[in-house]
Amino acid sequence: MMTAPQARPAVPPVTAAASAPEPAPLLDVRGLTISYGNARGTLRAASDVGFAIRPGEVMGLVGESGSGKSTIAMAILDLLGGGGRVESGEILFDGTDLRRLSAPERRALRGDRIAAVFQDPFTSLNPALTVGRQIAEPLIQHKGFSPRQAAARVQDLLSEVGIRDPRRVAAAYPHELSGGMQQRALIATALGCEPKLLILDEPTTALDVTVEARIIDLLAKLCDSHRLSALFVSHNLGIVNRICQTVTVLYGGLVVETGPTGRVLSRPAHPYSKGLVAALPRITAGRRHRLPSIPGTVAKLSGPPAACVFAPRCPFAEEACRSRPQAMLTDAAGDGVRCWKADALAGIPWPDEDAGIARDPKKAQPRSAPLVEVDHLRKIYGANRSILPWLRRAGTVAVEDVSFTVGRGEVVGVVGESGSGKSTIGRALLALTEPSAGTVLFDGADLTRRVRQGDQDLRRRAQLVFQNSAASLNPRKTVGDAMDRPLVLAGRADAEERRKTVAGLLTRVGLPSAYADRYPHELSGGERQRVNIARALATDPDFVVCDEAVSALDVSVQANILNLLAELRDEMGLSYLFITHDIAVVSHIADRVLVVYGGTICEEGPTGRVLRPPYHPYTEALLSAVPRLAEDGQETPRILLEDAAPTPGGQGCAFAARCPRKLGAVCDEQAPPVHRTDDGHRIACHIPLATLAERAAVFPELAGDAPH
Amino acid sequence: MTDATPVRPAPVQLAPRRRLPSLPVSLIVGLVLLAPLLVAAVAGSWIAPYPYDEMNIMSRLQPPGAEFWFGTDEFGRDVFSRTLVGTGSSLVMGVAATALSLLAGVPLGLIAGYKGGRIGEAIMRAMDVLMSFPPILLGILVLAVTQPAQWKAIVAIGIVYVPQVVRLTRAITLELMQEEFITAARLRGENAAYILFHEILPNIWPPLAVEASLRVVFAILLGASLSFIGMGAQPPSSDWGLMISEARPFVEQAPWIALCPGFALATAVIGINLLGDGLRALLDPRNTGAH
Repeated sequence: MMTAPQARPAVPPVTAAASAPEPAPLLDVRGLTISYGNARGTLRAASDVGFAIRPGEVMGLVGESGSGKSTIAMAILDLLGGGGRVESGEILFDGTDLRRLSAPERRALRGDRIAAVFQDPFTSLNPALTVGRQIAEPLIQHKGFSPRQAAARVQDLLSEVGIRDPRRVAAAYPHELSGGMQQRALIATALGCEPKLLILDEPTTALDVTVEARIIDLLAKLCDSHRLSALFVSHNLGIVNRICQTVTVLYGGLVVETGPTGRVLSRPAHPYSKGLVAALPRITAGRRHRLPSIPGTVAKLSGPPAACVFAPRCPFAEEACRSRPQAMLTDAAGDGVRCWKADALAGIPWPDEDAGIARDPKKAQPRSAPLVEVDHLRKIYGANRSILPWLRRAGTVAVEDVSFTVGRGEVVGVVGESGSGKSTIGRALLALTEPSAGTVLFDGADLTRRVRQGDQDLRRRAQLVFQNSAASLNPRKTVGDAMDRPLVLAGRADAEERRKTVAGLLTRVGLPSAYADRYPHELSGGERQRVNIARALATDPDFVVCDEAVSALDVSVQANILNLLAELRDEMGLSYLFITHDIAVVSHIADRVLVVYGGTICEEGPTGRVLRPPYHPYTEALLSAVPRLAEDGQETPRILLEDAAPTPGGQGCAFAARCPRKLGAVCDEQAPPVHRTDDGHRIACHIPLATLAERAAVFPELAGDAPH
Repeated sequence: MTDATPVRPAPVQLAPRRRLPSLPVSLIVGLVLLAPLLVAAVAGSWIAPYPYDEMNIMSRLQPPGAEFWFGTDEFGRDVFSRTLVGTGSSLVMGVAATALSLLAGVPLGLIAGYKGGRIGEAIMRAMDVLMSFPPILLGILVLAVTQPAQWKAIVAIGIVYVPQVVRLTRAITLELMQEEFITAARLRGENAAYILFHEILPNIWPPLAVEASLRVVFAILLGASLSFIGMGAQPPSSDWGLMISEARPFVEQAPWIALCPGFALATAVIGINLLGDGLRALLDPRNTGAH
């Protein structure tokens, strides 16, 4: 399969245009102000936003959730909904102001000259129509193709977006395709009418990292070969670094910084950009105790700002920042920053909270018998062992023979893609699902059996922090009620004393104790996640499973929560099973890492060992898919995996179908042998360990580190 | 709101603590519409200008006028008086039958949704059987074996509406069972009763309130059909449904006979619906008064 060097768009037009006359921008947004209004008042989603995208240029629009980035993309597409209104400003596309056009004229542009790809391929396609028909629709609508002509063009488009058998995919219904294939089909739809501008709104956020890497690669290639301009809305700075030539940073609906991607990400000028870059968990940064984070939440404006919008969260803010709004300062090269102190702050990094205080590795070592022992765990869903032959069903294998331990005070990371069985492992450890085979011992006792017998005390010692901070709190209970209940169950009768404990727990997770009276919807995502952690702690657990606990959060908030989890581990001696798809996050918090694929563990070892060769081929692909910032050094060639679904439960290696280093039939037919080293590193692969060790490190910077 | 480890205090104002939910507009309008009906239900026979069953052959089928505000029926009875007096029986019919169906349906739906498996299947199939009976037939079955009486009509209508309540409750329960806060409750060792009545039930009330307000209306109308075939309120007692069905043969000569009870029924329908919608909004902690 393929190991392709990164395809970066050849020459960024920004520099190419240095001598030639500046080409007129394809999209020029000027003074765009958008408000959302309802009975409770108005909210400014964008204030006086301006930026320009030249032909063939990809511009990144980055910011936290609530910064207004999607609103701006929607305004350009004329798809603002829910009370959104453009108050003022111009959106010049190829010289015409889109706002002055009539609705039918704008509709004619949309999908034709301006096309879009949205975040979630699973809901962007109509499940009742074939993919081919959906790709053909804009062709028939805008280009006047006959259905027959369109069908031929659909095949071309599908092969252009890297689909091998376009005929089959065109005839398929969306549910028959993987997420990556669906997103490719949507990109084909967008390309159909040969647009000049693509609006990409978080096009890879819903996809697995290895799939994301391929889609980004495809988009970069397409923009380059078609000289497409694109507005790339994203919260992921690593992805922006990979595909965009220029970047515009939004905060509170205002542009706070704009400039070439390389400069903004390596030498951010605005304090907010500095914070965003600093808060990104990096594999190469080593295991520092705390990640730098941005305190507070995104500012919400109802009118023109009276002071610097970022001042409340800015570590560099002084009195002058709070008394007057900031103006955009633009230099000759077109770089802009909305901070009067930008020059003074040049070269000053975002403050590190306590950089370099590495955690004592000894602390992480299991001090006595492990807390959790998982032995040959197997979970099959939907199996039916009926005596009636026609009712018998083999079921779907979610977890196939997994064994590992979690020590006391240890953090074990589980990394894998969707469908790898990582969440099932977590649920089995908490006795939320019964293993089909194998045992889970918690503190020496068979947890599943004890829970079935009604031992709720043992169960309370193992808790879960969920991914979706909103769904995991009952919307009809106050924060205090939700946290009070575990205390009642623990037999604490004194209501006053319980109230104090709740207040103490809230303070412990960094929230004001007055939050006990609030309802979940009154809190921000990060605050809710803190409440979730506090609630899990209310049962006084020894073991906490964090199932994608930080994945849904903004980078700055994610750093906050990771820091909190690390502190709690140190102070309360908690053990975590940290389940995530993001290997960079895991490298920050975990002592040991399990890499799972198709329900099997393909690699396990101390974090430092897993991040360096020898790698399992899948680990290598995962690591190479991690988006990186310019300052992290040169990009190594990325390993791009096929979009194939894992095949758990088969005879051979689960990864065989996608493995770029597949040896041959042996991979499909025999379970891989497990190579072990004495420091607890094990790799399940047919390739000999010595051969695996010959590969170059994905992160050469790490090679010198002493193993933990 | 701040979401921070106290690295530096962010001078962001805390939103005002719990606002008292202001009353939703729909709740107020609903109450205003229902208030005169409630007065009529309680004091109908005292404020009615004529006795509801006083027949007067001389003034039969009189159009509305100064003497008879809403005219008279084929026996010369005052339509307005009959409507006033009938309010109580009609509202009781609707509300009691609905309450009965909720009382039986909500626990069954909760169990069917929570337990699933064989118990859930058994409950749902029993409901399917119940649903497959035409309501009128079921009413006839209940009433045919005994003497007609209003409470029996209420029981019959209550039973007819149980399957709908069970289905709705079960559907919402199934959906809520997937929510992570239920998993969290299981993890801290809650028993089924607590999860059903303290975690799930509060989230079921809002859609149920809307459903119930619609049910009340249908129950009044079904009560009318039962009365029509002689199973509910018996002549000469007055009941909106009964009045409307008795007015049918005279619709062309004397449309006003149906007009007054019809208007009262429409007021009740709209009032109860708005009340239900208002209750839903009031029960929602996200309610901040903007409706």
